[in-house]
Amino acid sequence: MQSWRRRKSLWLILSASWLLLVLLGGFSLLRLALPSRPRPGAPQGWPRWLDAELLQSFSQAGELPEDAASPQAPHGGSCNWGACFDTSKCRGDGLKVFVYPASGPISETHHRILASIEGSRFHTFSPAGACLLLLLSLDAQTGECSSMPLQWNRGRNHLVLRLHPAPCPKTFQLGQAMVAEASPTVDSFRPGFDVALPFLPEAHPLRGGAPGQLQQHSPQPGITLLALEEERGGWRTADTGSSACPWDARCEQDPGPGQTQRGETLPNATFCLISGHRPEAASRFLQALQVLAALQEMSPARVLALRQQTQFLWDAYFSSVEKVIHTTLEVIQDRIFGTSAHPSLLWNSPPGALLALSTFSTSPQDFPFYHLQQGSRPEGRFSALIWVGPPGQPPLKLIQAVAGSQHCAQILVLWSNERPLPSSWPETAMPLTVIDGHRKVSDRFFPYSTIRTDAILSLDARSSLSTSEVDFAFVVWQSFPERMVGFLTSSHFWDEAHGGWGYTAERTNEFSMVLTTAAFYHRYYHTLFTHSLPKALRTLADEAPTCVDVLMNFLVAAVTKLPPIKVPYGKQRQEAAPLASGGPGPRSKPQAAAPDCVNQIAAAFGHMPLLSSRLRLDPVLFKDPVSVQRKKYRSLEKP
Amino acid sequence: MCASVKYNIRGPALIPRMKTKHRIYYITLFSIVLLGLIATGMFQFWPHSIESSNDWNVEKRSVRDVPVVRLPADSPIPERGDLSCRMHTCFDVYRCGFNPKNKIKVYIYALKKYVDDFGVPVSNTISREYNELLTAISDSDYYTDDINRACLFVPSIDVLNQNTLRIKETAQALAQLSRWDRGTNHLLFNMLPGGPPDYNTALDVPRDRALLAGGGFSTWTYRQGYDVSIPVYSPLSAEVDLPEKGPGPRRYFLISSQVGLHPEYREDLEALQVKHGESVLVLDKCTNLSEGGLSIRKRCHKHQVFDYPQVLQEATFCVVLRGARLGQAILSDVLQAGCVPVVIADSYILPFSEVLDWKRASVVVPEEKMSDVYSILQSIPQRQIEEMQRQLFMEPARRESWLAANHQMNSLIWPREQWDSQIINDRIYPYAAISYEEWNDPPAVKWGSVSNPLFLPLIPPQSQGFTAIVLTYDRVESLFRVITEVSKVPSLSKLLVVWNNQNKNPPEDSLWPKIRVPLKVVRTAENKLSNRFFPYDEIETEAVLAIDDDIIMLTSDELQFGYEVWREFPDRLVGYPGRLHLWDHEMNKWKYESEWTNEVSMVLTGAAFYHKYFNYLYTYKMPGDIKNWVDAHMNCEDIAMNFLVANVTGKAVIKVTPRKKFKCPECTAIDGLSLDQTHMVERSECINKFASVFGTMPLKVVEHRADPVLYKDDFPEKLKSFPNIGSL
Repeated sequence: MQSWRRRKSLWLILSASWLLLVLLGGFSLLRLALPSRPRPGAPQGWPRWLDAELLQSFSQAGELPEDAASPQAPHGGSCNWGACFDTSKCRGDGLKVFVYPASGPISETHHRILASIEGSRFHTFSPAGACLLLLLSLDAQTGECSSMPLQWNRGRNHLVLRLHPAPCPKTFQLGQAMVAEASPTVDSFRPGFDVALPFLPEAHPLRGGAPGQLQQHSPQPGITLLALEEERGGWRTADTGSSACPWDARCEQDPGPGQTQRGETLPNATFCLISGHRPEAASRFLQALQVLAALQEMSPARVLALRQQTQFLWDAYFSSVEKVIHTTLEVIQDRIFGTSAHPSLLWNSPPGALLALSTFSTSPQDFPFYHLQQGSRPEGRFSALIWVGPPGQPPLKLIQAVAGSQHCAQILVLWSNERPLPSSWPETAMPLTVIDGHRKVSDRFFPYSTIRTDAILSLDARSSLSTSEVDFAFVVWQSFPERMVGFLTSSHFWDEAHGGWGYTAERTNEFSMVLTTAAFYHRYYHTLFTHSLPKALRTLADEAPTCVDVLMNFLVAAVTKLPPIKVPYGKQRQEAAPLASGGPGPRSKPQAAAPDCVNQIAAAFGHMPLLSSRLRLDPVLFKDPVSVQRKKYRSLEKP
Repeated sequence: MCASVKYNIRGPALIPRMKTKHRIYYITLFSIVLLGLIATGMFQFWPHSIESSNDWNVEKRSVRDVPVVRLPADSPIPERGDLSCRMHTCFDVYRCGFNPKNKIKVYIYALKKYVDDFGVPVSNTISREYNELLTAISDSDYYTDDINRACLFVPSIDVLNQNTLRIKETAQALAQLSRWDRGTNHLLFNMLPGGPPDYNTALDVPRDRALLAGGGFSTWTYRQGYDVSIPVYSPLSAEVDLPEKGPGPRRYFLISSQVGLHPEYREDLEALQVKHGESVLVLDKCTNLSEGGLSIRKRCHKHQVFDYPQVLQEATFCVVLRGARLGQAILSDVLQAGCVPVVIADSYILPFSEVLDWKRASVVVPEEKMSDVYSILQSIPQRQIEEMQRQLFMEPARRESWLAANHQMNSLIWPREQWDSQIINDRIYPYAAISYEEWNDPPAVKWGSVSNPLFLPLIPPQSQGFTAIVLTYDRVESLFRVITEVSKVPSLSKLLVVWNNQNKNPPEDSLWPKIRVPLKVVRTAENKLSNRFFPYDEIETEAVLAIDDDIIMLTSDELQFGYEVWREFPDRLVGYPGRLHLWDHEMNKWKYESEWTNEVSMVLTGAAFYHKYFNYLYTYKMPGDIKNWVDAHMNCEDIAMNFLVANVTGKAVIKVTPRKKFKCPECTAIDGLSLDQTHMVERSECINKFASVFGTMPLKVVEHRADPVLYKDDFPEKLKSFPNIGSL
């Protein structure tokens, strides 16, 4: 009985399983048996051809390498770099530019642009030795049209610079000349040959230029998202509430509420829509492309990057006529240099290609600016460069102190006074090189090839420093290789009474300059000082020696847009008063001379680049009430 | 083990004692049913692997069976290529708006065979390469089979090689495509343009507004920002598998391996070889080899035979000289071999030059300077050469797409098509485009480097002030004291209290201290530490002061000075309590250090200034599971923030002022919380965990701290800006 019941239940299980099998399996078998048809709507794609393996190759073997060659370059209707520019004249010292002198009376702007090019490192007075001949076509108002210049030669190696749209009819064929102008038309622009310039207003500053107005990295919350350019310089603001149309339905209606501003001032918005020649198309364009939606989708990281990049581009290449012209020349020089041109990183990150000279290096890690981006670190050693001016005592104690530093690689003595070179120098483990200078103060910042390290410790023979001061300052410099790290400081300030800049070396709560008579900085600044500063400024420094400090601080601040760094200086005794180069001390004479050179240099720069800092970098346990034994730089605290 | 024993015991009991014959019969039957069920189940549960395979779904047809289309001799011909075309004039972006994900959709016309009035075919129906190219498009995300949703149309008419085409008839075939419309939004692929005798540098087939992806454009035919320059496919590099060779010196300095060079060029090159001897190798076709088929894989110099393209790996530089056409297949071979190409082809538009920075991976020499090529190359510093070689040897996946030359045909076409579409995609959706650096930076290089999100040197105006964010749970008395202290700081512009206690309401409005700046209480949904770093809309300033509700010792002078230090270093964490990470050599892992040391690598966010952007990064971009891990462990949010900021900026923290006591004057110098031994172990664990998630140790150690300029100087205190700086 029991076994029967068991058997019955077993049978039940078995038949149920069979049924399941038939039901489930049947479908699958059916599907296998019937040829499947692509379901309507299912993606089909490109067919897999049965005879795909048999298809022939697009070219026969041997056809590729055999194509007959002719030494004649393919030619087209217009010029390109290889065909119309003769680089053979540019060998040697790179781009040399000759500027055609103006024929007849010229405007003030024209005059100043000429002066600016003449002061630059590109300029040459001889048209024969020039690699590029520059023809300025500037004066929109005067109506004067330039006539064909003498060395025209069908325009070969010529650059015609048009800062403002030319009202003149073409008096002569441009031919092989490159044209640099704003808003060139697509038809006439020859990519890689002509240069497109920004459109410059008449009142664009010649030099320096207003710094960018961006005050903060990220946009303020609640600020208008987008402003649209309208005719006659007005702006219409569009915000997130505005209606947006679907992509395909080209909207024609008004973009909705939005206040219109008239006048010169730019609206305070995160994005500005500029529609080139057709402002009236802007609103339609806006809607059809759903610009707003797209901008809203943009991640904060991207907005942040774009904001900063616009600001950098403005400051580096756009803000003055001089920068626009130098950028144009730099672009052409890069074409000539070919392999030793600026890499794109140097063009596109601060401080920009005008301040990162490709004649110095094309490797970013050789410059002080890109270590973070490149993941590199400046070298761990420095060269001490000791300037010995009058009265010309060999700085024996100073050499000992510097040579004691574990980071010191070499010592250079720049002998710059009338006394004969001493025959013997102190014994140090450090290699010591003596350079006989030209008795000029600007010699101090000459890029001597004997300097083999990235870091320079610039010293005056009368400076006094201890080894641990040098050690600590150098370690700080490694964290800030693009800045100057110094011991003694001075400040500039706006002197209301005199309506000019003032200078003080008094100890105050802030500073904007460090004295280069004892300071660490990158050796690249020597190259920049010698090769990029206008000659007039270097002459000024030679004539008024106290200015050289100010000039170097201006240069570094203009490049970095950052204040220098101060580190503690043990012998902060006022009577030590050592560190003014050339002059007898900072307390008396330089105080009188310095404000003058601050004003002169600021005028030459076109703006005031110096920035103030209110902090000093000390060792972590500096003057803390803890055991001296715990401190690494304990001798810094000795009174 | 246990379970299986049990099963064995139970197993026989399930089947009752029966006659052996029956028993065997039942067991067999049962097993068959079971097997059947399992098999069915497999069909049921893995149906896709069978169904969606190409054999099931895609039509299986022969190329010979495609429909034939007769082109009347008088059917319309498109205009010649419009040289003034640009994206905004000849391209209809409105067709590309259907896809919300910023991706263009590509449609492929069905394959047809075109014949003229006499039934003579217009061209070969399709080449192997073009078929694979279309297959690659069809397999990609860009593909759509809905012609109405397409933004880009690819004809199946094969124009890769102009030599095989009847130009007029091919143009007529293009013109009769259903959506041709003057060629708007149509993309043609061509590798061998022009024909004898003058070899135009772009496809001669009249194509009106159609975009052209062509090999061998010159500056005269290339429509900047409209056409795409592509490399010419090399069958050799597709077949050969070359081993990777790292940067460094090679046997030859310069190799020329092209055959069929113009005699004038060959003379120039051979003159170089005579002048510079061993370091220059000029190869030619082998004349003495009998086998015709093998000869394309061999190159000879006098009687010496070399394997091609293997020999390219022996050289630092390889000459890529223009032939009748500008685009040369050898460029692909050279790139694959990791040899730096020396391109001598005036006016040639290098492949993908719109996005690739060829300066970083090649040397372009004008044709007229060919005789100087050796000295030009000699003048390149070794470091720059190695940088170029490295650029050629990026990690394999990218390299394949970058070089567009690989041993498998498919991976040649694949990335190329992807690139083309990506380039056009970038033009249509420029705001979502990939940046120049992303195209060109090998990730391997990126690894050691950073891209600081706050890269512009900028000192924010002091007038903006800062927002203090106090995280609190229930220590109301201490919280009020902190609020009162912080409110004395001149640059404070707003105070935000993050109330992290869900069980208790914050005190009534009337009980809060009256301060001169707006005070806002934010209540959180959960008691999480990450709430302190949320990018609240209420934060209107760029500077944020994160402060714990028990930090009562910081003076107003110290806080104001800290804010001013932050202004000079707005991309860093600027904080008061400094800490250090150390490598524990015994345990072989990182250790957390809170002793007074000469170095600092972290500042605690119990009292620190930072840019509000880092709140966004912490909340949305923290790598791995760190954010959840911190919330789960209720610890180390400050260390995580230090890692995050250091990793993204590559910069060290700034510790401000000497202060070391923060909570109460009576406390030991190091705060009670930090003294706890288990606490130290936990914090060390955090460092190790984060270092493994970040894959690196981003923290930077420095030996300095920021003090006011005249701190501890021999100077009248009343003249100092920040006299009230505590020494401990």
